[in-house]
Amino acid sequence: MGRPRRLAPWRRLRRIVLLATAICLVPAGLSYVADLSEPHNVGPPIASVEWMRAHGGNGIVSQIENWYYTLTAPSKGGPPLRTLPKVGAETAAITPEAPSYRPPNVKPLIHPPLRGEGVWRPAAAHAGPRPPVLLTTFRSDPEYPQFVAGVAWIDSRRTRLAYLPGLAEPPEVSHRGPAEVPPPRRRRLVATFNGGFPLETSNAGLVYRGHTVAPMVDGIATLVEYRDGRVDIVRWAHGANPSRHVWFAKQNLPPIVYAGRLNPNLSDGPEWGATVNNAVRVWRSGLGIDRHGNLIYAVADYQTVGSLAEILKRAGAVRALELDINEDWVSFIAYRHPGAAEPSNLLPGIYRPPSRYLTPDERDFFAVYAKGGW
Amino acid sequence: MRLPRRISPGARARRALLGDLVAAAALAALVLSLAAGLGVVGFFGLPLLLAGLLWIGLERLLGRFR
Repeated sequence: MGRPRRLAPWRRLRRIVLLATAICLVPAGLSYVADLSEPHNVGPPIASVEWMRAHGGNGIVSQIENWYYTLTAPSKGGPPLRTLPKVGAETAAITPEAPSYRPPNVKPLIHPPLRGEGVWRPAAAHAGPRPPVLLTTFRSDPEYPQFVAGVAWIDSRRTRLAYLPGLAEPPEVSHRGPAEVPPPRRRRLVATFNGGFPLETSNAGLVYRGHTVAPMVDGIATLVEYRDGRVDIVRWAHGANPSRHVWFAKQNLPPIVYAGRLNPNLSDGPEWGATVNNAVRVWRSGLGIDRHGNLIYAVADYQTVGSLAEILKRAGAVRALELDINEDWVSFIAYRHPGAAEPSNLLPGIYRPPSRYLTPDERDFFAVYAKGGW
Repeated sequence: MRLPRRISPGARARRALLGDLVAAAALAALVLSLAAGLGVVGFFGLPLLLAGLLWIGLERLLGRFR
């Protein structure tokens, strides 16, 4: 065995750096293993990215996503579509003679329109003359004629919206619940959809069951439900804690549509936080409200924040906020029959399965229940 | 108390390793306190550690053939 040699200074420096790195990785590794040992309904790669987002790496993840989506950006044009994906129940389209308010069909942007383009159809079979949820699809961008947007209209008088926490989001909340649609409530379930950015990403507020989970932030777009069941989308201006009339309130970024107009600052700026560049085309989802107080959900692939806002405005939204982005998080699921039977995604390209919210899910989400009979 | 001046090469190496460990612990504490979170530490730390170990491994492998 040879005599130990005196190490050169640079080798000692290298040793110090590597030892320090190994020491740093111990708490990081323990945190990572503990996080991935908890129940997840996403694969290890997505769970790993989410762990990183939640532990200070949101800016890094967003930057990598920006590079990836910029490199894989779609090209304009392409062969025209011949058909649109089928949405809604196989019943006749809603007619203008229906006895109560119905939203006007969405005017197609590309001519000639395809069969059924922009025409509202009931989400559920046998929903009667006043279906609580209507669905449609249309091509939303003449420069990209192959992109199809899916839109849902939710009758606020015939439905009740519920906010449901997920397994991991929000991180700290009392009354977390089952992180899925509770089985006893599925009888009246008509739709579910994704709940918006996690709190650590949005840096915004959340109120759940009347209690402030994260302080509300003025100026941020907020979906709010009052104790009497009314829902609204507002630009929050009531300080960190809401009034006792608020049942839940979820904030996400600045409004993208307000007073019937697009937000003039839809291009990037610090107000949008550490999220994927607003001009990058990815799956995006958003929620708006029409002038009659009914909710409008929109989802589509290859959208910028601006084009998503255009979709919502075209569908009738006068105020709107962006919800989740990226294929892993967007979901709108309609249930054709009572009891959450025959769930189907609003668009066939939506990555998460239609059974998503019928089993425990990572993220918070919204459930739409029919009032009265269905 | 003063350390002995004449020590064996093995003892000198152990003393150097102990000193490096203390320096590494201080450096790690500094990094952990300044980093935005453990996710950032893991993101940069893991490739750095792997690259360093690969470097040392290659160095030893090449040293055998000299």
